[in-house]
Amino acid sequence: MATDEFEAEALRHLDALYRTALRMTRSEADAEDLVQETYIRAFRFRDQFTLGTNMKAWLFRILTNTFINTYRRKAAQPEVTDLEGVDEFSLYRHMADDRAASSSPDPEAELLKGVVDTEVTDALEALPEKFRTTVLLDVEGFSYKEIAEMLGIPIGTVMSRLHRGRKFLQKRLYDLARERGIAAVRTPQKS
Amino acid sequence: MDCNDCVERLYAFLDLELDEKELAAMRAHVSGCDDCGDELGLEARFLERLKECATSDVTPPHLRERVIQKLRGASPPTT
Repeated sequence: MATDEFEAEALRHLDALYRTALRMTRSEADAEDLVQETYIRAFRFRDQFTLGTNMKAWLFRILTNTFINTYRRKAAQPEVTDLEGVDEFSLYRHMADDRAASSSPDPEAELLKGVVDTEVTDALEALPEKFRTTVLLDVEGFSYKEIAEMLGIPIGTVMSRLHRGRKFLQKRLYDLARERGIAAVRTPQKS
Repeated sequence: MDCNDCVERLYAFLDLELDEKELAAMRAHVSGCDDCGDELGLEARFLERLKECATSDVTPPHLRERVIQKLRGASPPTT
């Protein structure tokens, strides 16, 4: 692959790499460093890229490895590594209970629109690292198999991390909506 | 397929990770079960909202510039 061709193709994925790095590191400065390091490595090892294969997946593998080897070690705060108890959370069941008391014709839409984008991304950043990384790779459209390969974990682990990660996010957004009194999930006033 | 099987496979369904046989069984169940259909709809909307929020950041121009500089600086001079 010619150098300028490689550069053009690699740069097509810059936004995706940056936003993922931003959520992985939770720091703009670290995200910028991580992205630069990813491109430097990609360029250095460009001969290892097989023409006709998925450049985005290849770049994300480099990003993920660099993150795990560099930034995960740097992570100061100890992280809760399990999400005990979120498995059973069902947004659907909670909403079903609220639906009866709600005057909204579409309480689910109201809940999902009622939380602002930054609240969703804050919830994402509150996820323990291994769950967050898995959810982020899924958001970027990678298959279970691709995520498993990038993280060096079995597909079953990808599935359970996605399940728990998503339930954690739902619980957080639901609690937030309740606290804020978004009408759809407002507890009816007792008289 | 019953409701429990359906809920268990819900994310695999939405993530397009079911094989054809399971996909057909899931579709058949959901078409006859409003409850599972509604739950599937809610989960689909949640994932859509998550994706929308998580993919909206764009690269700061100075970073784009810096990455291009690094790539060009690292490439061998063309003769």
